[in-house]
Amino acid sequence: MSYITVTDLGKTFTVRKKREKGGPGREKTLVRALSQVSFQVEKGELVGCIGPNGAGKSTTVKILSGILVPDEGSATVDGRVPWKERREHVRRIGVVFGQRTQLWWDVPIIDSFRLLKEIYLVPGPAFEKRLSELTEALELGGLLRTPLRLMSLGQRMRAELCGSLLHSPELLFLDEPTIGLDAPSKLALRDFLRRENREKGTTILLTTHDMEDIAALCPRVMVLGHGRKLYDGALTGLLSRYDTLRIAHVRYADGARPPALPPDCALSREGDTWQILYHPAQTPTAGLLTLLQSAGAIQELTLQGQNVDHLIAAMYEEMAL
Amino acid sequence: MRTLKLYLHSMGMLLRAHTQYRASFALQTLAQLVMEGGEMMAVLLVVNRFERLGHWSGGNLLFFFGVMSLTFYLTEFLGRGVTGAFPSMVRSGQLDTLLVRPRGLMTQVLCAEIDPRRIGCLAVGLTALILGSRASGIRWTLPKALALLEAVGLGTLLTLGLFLIECVLCVYTVRSIEMVNALTYGGRSACQYPVDIYPRPLRILFTAVAPYALVLHVPAAWILDKPLWNWPAWTAFVTPLAGPLVFLVMRGAFGVAMRHYRSTGS
Repeated sequence: MSYITVTDLGKTFTVRKKREKGGPGREKTLVRALSQVSFQVEKGELVGCIGPNGAGKSTTVKILSGILVPDEGSATVDGRVPWKERREHVRRIGVVFGQRTQLWWDVPIIDSFRLLKEIYLVPGPAFEKRLSELTEALELGGLLRTPLRLMSLGQRMRAELCGSLLHSPELLFLDEPTIGLDAPSKLALRDFLRRENREKGTTILLTTHDMEDIAALCPRVMVLGHGRKLYDGALTGLLSRYDTLRIAHVRYADGARPPALPPDCALSREGDTWQILYHPAQTPTAGLLTLLQSAGAIQELTLQGQNVDHLIAAMYEEMAL
Repeated sequence: MRTLKLYLHSMGMLLRAHTQYRASFALQTLAQLVMEGGEMMAVLLVVNRFERLGHWSGGNLLFFFGVMSLTFYLTEFLGRGVTGAFPSMVRSGQLDTLLVRPRGLMTQVLCAEIDPRRIGCLAVGLTALILGSRASGIRWTLPKALALLEAVGLGTLLTLGLFLIECVLCVYTVRSIEMVNALTYGGRSACQYPVDIYPRPLRILFTAVAPYALVLHVPAAWILDKPLWNWPAWTAFVTPLAGPLVFLVMRGAFGVAMRHYRSTGS
């Protein structure tokens, strides 16, 4: 049996909405947050979970961390049912919610950490060792006496991570961990997570909207939409299905313009640079280059794929999300 | 034991957090002192105007007031997680963060907040208790002291239990249910006075539903040597058990409610 086994998981929420003006009472609608989701995760894997807002990512994390009870299906983590053996289960997991803090707002973070030690009953020496490890890796040394409320978002996220790893969990859930972070903070955070996964063997399941997170971290990606699992596999496999468009930029030495191009190519001009969108499946790149060369001496040429965000947007569109 | 250690550790840290905002803390404590002092003045006025209420003398009334104040504000002081913070914990999603920790949920909710501003109210309550005891000429004995301790201690459990009704409803509705305040804050206001001055429906309410009469008034009346409804002495020690009973029932209901907890936001 796999470390995490999820079978036909389903969860429905009842949403009560006030009726429009004049209507009596309230309207009840059932929202299927998850339906028939199944997957397995092995120990030591690093899995990314993407999907548009309301796709069921957070619901999945909440069920697997024992916060919510599902309506259908089953889930076990290391042989335990999270919502039935909550205490035994959560002792071994760490959860970071990108949008809410788990530390105490007004006290220095070291005080929060010491209280977490008490909550998780971490023995003294193990705690000190782990704390010094984490403060070094997350560069928190100088911040330990600073109250959380005085920290920047990036510092706060590092403190949150430290707090959720103090008890050395085997499994770490990250719900949008890089939300709102600046570029250096994101890079440092990814670097840390990769090391934590590789060196400690921590299994990590992360949900995100940031495709860079997935590209940088996760060999495996799951796509959720409308509460269903739509894809589960390597990121490259996912992208190749939607990665059908290439962009060429070309600049001629003598100010020449490109010749007539096949109908699937779209031409536009930015200053003296021409941009061509084309589909390699229909117009092979070599053929396009021959055409472009026929118009004059090419001074500069770049070829690029589409931005990952565009691909995902195209994918969501095709899946009717 | 481990739970108590965690509770004390949490309370210590929260106290330090509260002292971060000293001016605000001082002003709010003062405001509460004035408010609760005002309530005590109201009792003194009643006493002054009528001298007695039923067979209760002015000193007796002050004593009842003190017992109630002490019980209620001790609960608010130490159990703020249940008596005030819970609805916002549900709304903000803080409850989720408690659920992913390997400790009992009720323990963690109680460990999550403290309200040291209530120290002002507690001081007023204690003053009323001492003044009332003097004016009523209570001769303190060990059983009487124990009865008082038991009443106040189990009274805090009763108060926690009543506030838990709000918590349970809040799990379903997410919004706080002010209606329940009729039992909690309403109960405090009404049961500052001994229950037998009230008409029958209220007597039933505060005996069978929110049993402050059983938990506080029966032992307090016995301590004053004027047993309520002429009940025998042993009842002063037994009827306060209604407090933990209410607490346990509501704690059970809270556990059931949490199975339907649906969390908020992402």
